[in-house]
Amino acid sequence: MKLELFAEKLFAAGKESGFTDMEVFFSGGSSFRAGVFKGEIDNYTLAESSGLSFRGIYNGKMGYAFTEKLDEESIDMLINDAQQNAIINDSEDVEEIFAGSAEYAEVDAYSQELANATTEQKLALVHAIEKAAYALDDRIATVQAFFGGGASERRIINNKGLNLAFQGNTAMLGVSVIARQGQETKTAYGREVARDLAEFDVDKIAKEAVDEAVSLFGADTIVSKDYPIILRNDVAAQLLAVFAPAFSAENVQKGLSLLRGKIGEQIYDAKITIVDDPHMPGKPGSCPFDAEGVATYKKNVVEDGVLKTYLHNLKTARQDGVESTGNASKRSYKSSIGISPSNFYIQPGEVNYDEMIKGTKEGLIIISLQGTHSGANPVSGDFSLAAYGYLVQDGAIVGPVHQITVAGNYYQMMREVLQIGNDLYFGGGSYGAPSLKIARLAVAGK
Amino acid sequence: MLPKPLLERVLLQALATGGDFAEIFVEDKYSTNLNMVGGKLETGLSGRDYGVGIRILKGFNYVYAYTNDDSEANLLKVAKTAADALVGAQRDQVIDLTRQEITNRHLIERYPHAVSKQDKVALMLRANNAALNYSSFISQVRVSYLDEDQKVLIANSDGLLVEDRRVRTRCSINAIASKGNEKQVGFYGPGASKGFEFYDEIDIEDYAREAARIAATMINADLCPSGRFPVIIDNEFGGVIFHEACGHSLEATSVAKKMSVFADRLGEKIASDVVSAVDDGTIPNAWGSQNIDDEGTPTRRNVLIENGILKSYMIDKLNGRRMGMASTGNSRRQSYRFAPTSRMTNTFILPGKHTRDEIIAATEFGLLATYMGGGSVRPATGEFNFAVREAYMVRNGRIAEPVRGATLIGKGSEILHNIDMVADNLARGQGMCGSASGSIPNDVGQPTIRVSEITVGGRKGAAK
Repeated sequence: MKLELFAEKLFAAGKESGFTDMEVFFSGGSSFRAGVFKGEIDNYTLAESSGLSFRGIYNGKMGYAFTEKLDEESIDMLINDAQQNAIINDSEDVEEIFAGSAEYAEVDAYSQELANATTEQKLALVHAIEKAAYALDDRIATVQAFFGGGASERRIINNKGLNLAFQGNTAMLGVSVIARQGQETKTAYGREVARDLAEFDVDKIAKEAVDEAVSLFGADTIVSKDYPIILRNDVAAQLLAVFAPAFSAENVQKGLSLLRGKIGEQIYDAKITIVDDPHMPGKPGSCPFDAEGVATYKKNVVEDGVLKTYLHNLKTARQDGVESTGNASKRSYKSSIGISPSNFYIQPGEVNYDEMIKGTKEGLIIISLQGTHSGANPVSGDFSLAAYGYLVQDGAIVGPVHQITVAGNYYQMMREVLQIGNDLYFGGGSYGAPSLKIARLAVAGK
Repeated sequence: MLPKPLLERVLLQALATGGDFAEIFVEDKYSTNLNMVGGKLETGLSGRDYGVGIRILKGFNYVYAYTNDDSEANLLKVAKTAADALVGAQRDQVIDLTRQEITNRHLIERYPHAVSKQDKVALMLRANNAALNYSSFISQVRVSYLDEDQKVLIANSDGLLVEDRRVRTRCSINAIASKGNEKQVGFYGPGASKGFEFYDEIDIEDYAREAARIAATMINADLCPSGRFPVIIDNEFGGVIFHEACGHSLEATSVAKKMSVFADRLGEKIASDVVSAVDDGTIPNAWGSQNIDDEGTPTRRNVLIENGILKSYMIDKLNGRRMGMASTGNSRRQSYRFAPTSRMTNTFILPGKHTRDEIIAATEFGLLATYMGGGSVRPATGEFNFAVREAYMVRNGRIAEPVRGATLIGKGSEILHNIDMVADNLARGQGMCGSASGSIPNDVGQPTIRVSEITVGGRKGAAK
């Protein structure tokens, strides 16, 4: 059944069952992924799929239900389930179905070049990057290369007159390598996203992965103590993502954020500015409207170290007596409304990464952190994570370091930022950061 | 779920370009997710996942396609598009599906749909209140409830046609303790392949109080010191160490392409003598159990390590081809959106001859990790890490002060050799494991074990 017709029937059935305001959130698309192993395309995945989530107000309470089948039977299930889910909902927060913002920005997320690319062109890239990675160094034992991409569509239709649609597409080329030397095994990966296949620099992605893997041979652990730290840009972005939930007004209101009551206060070093920008061309977090249909906009969340705003949806904004910041989100089409940043990044500074190393008498460059889902506490900011990287002495890298943990507290760390790099990096995700030099973190090794 | 003649036509279409094996996976899953914060039911979500996945194998390679639209025209189109990714000619093939009946080992008494949502909310409220009232340090409680009823149909070009139904439920409690600006979270999340009768068999309030106890203990704990020293890891969810440090590296997913540290090592000594471990997908009603895996192969009990010797990997059909070995019934996937691959089911270290008390008494200085958090591993290098949720220092053979914020890191191949004591108190805990074929339910487990030396990361500075 076509979406408009389905929504029409659903709203009519909902009205009969006692729903007042109703909305469907639809997400659909196609995806493609191919991987190569030893010269053969060994995995190849194609998909066309979609899902629809219904929410509606019944006796003043919001109820949700979802389906992946748009048939008559599903209409009954959606109405019935949403009703049940509204009845048990005893949240005091008021959730609303939104009639629409005055205007919506034009956001460029769909690339015609990418849509026109053929399967042959995509597969040629995967073969090329595999070949490039093997050719770069004899110690590369295994290469796995992949191309992934797809197009997606998001629709919001409600019975208050809103009808929004947004389309985007994306492509990623990546390679992961295993390097062997004697008894040692090292891994690394490289990847890039692009909006046109011609933008992919196959040799550069392969070289980054290979160079990193072979640079780790001979790694040793180091003496446990506090070290000055350089967080490489990708690692700084990874940590930003882990601790970003603290900016969600929902977490603030529920007592799950230490940023409660800190608007207007200095929370980070004065060099730090953090931007939420939903209008960046071709980024995964870009969209002119959020999951409630509210128009999105660019803002500084932290400016010169001062907390300027939390991220709000309609519900939390109402509770705080402010306007929604257009950050309502759904983890998937079936989720209820939450809050998340759009494209969220630490504004880059002036310092070149190499200069950062040159200016370090003794320190540690962290190029990988593992276990952030378990070894970091997004509420308290505490973290203790497995890491590896390079030891720096007298302004130069002296060798690779592994089997260590770095521990600290994110809030304290962000107050002790010494330098900010000029190398802002997103790595295909929606969180970005430049490299950061930090006064100290506790390192455990031997 | 789909008629046999249609399945046969789709399989035949999938093999049109020379594929040597085709498979259809149909999934119809109804699930309910409820979230309670501070005693209030914040979100209730329920609905239906439905889709069809078509997989074609040719030699060591595969093509996978999935869709939500199960009309004959669309399925044939999807099968054709998938087949077009391969180049070749159809072999002379007849597909004759024979329905196989399975014996259901995981009997369900109270199907989730037969229980009112109000009863589910009442259960959550009991958990909330038990945690909240445990200690004045508990400032916030979050309870989540999940149940799902997944029906699958698997048909393949070898003639297999089989259906299975998997019912699961889980109730998780996050208790948050506060003191000044500090916050600590205690977690417990019991689950099973059972219906709502599960909550008659356990007392959810006990679990809620335990989550609260962990949070309240940790908020008052000092920071953990760092260094290399003996670590005692308690039973039940402590088994996550085996899951991460060793289990993933025994999955054919990494072994087949020789990307695992344990590739080509069957029959070799990879662990100390006191270590024996199994993966058992047959345990009645266990969280990680299934009658059949997601390729339709019956699950089984596989001995992975016996007295330190590597006995078996966990294998799916495709990787089994590369390895020249048969499936061990370990092929799993989150949903029709994922091609299946070898994964763990219920994986645990078997009991040893010591008691927990003996192990603690035999440890002059070390860390006792009573509850573990999650972790991760790189199978290629075996390097793992995981978080400790609750821990105590051990001094002179006695449990001393609680410490928080510890992380354990190491290499699977080393840690297995460093397990020097195993207790007799085997228990299993529930978790979700994320990997190549999505997020799936797993039991981890072990008795209390001691690792003679492991790197402990903490914020307090070097241990004295």
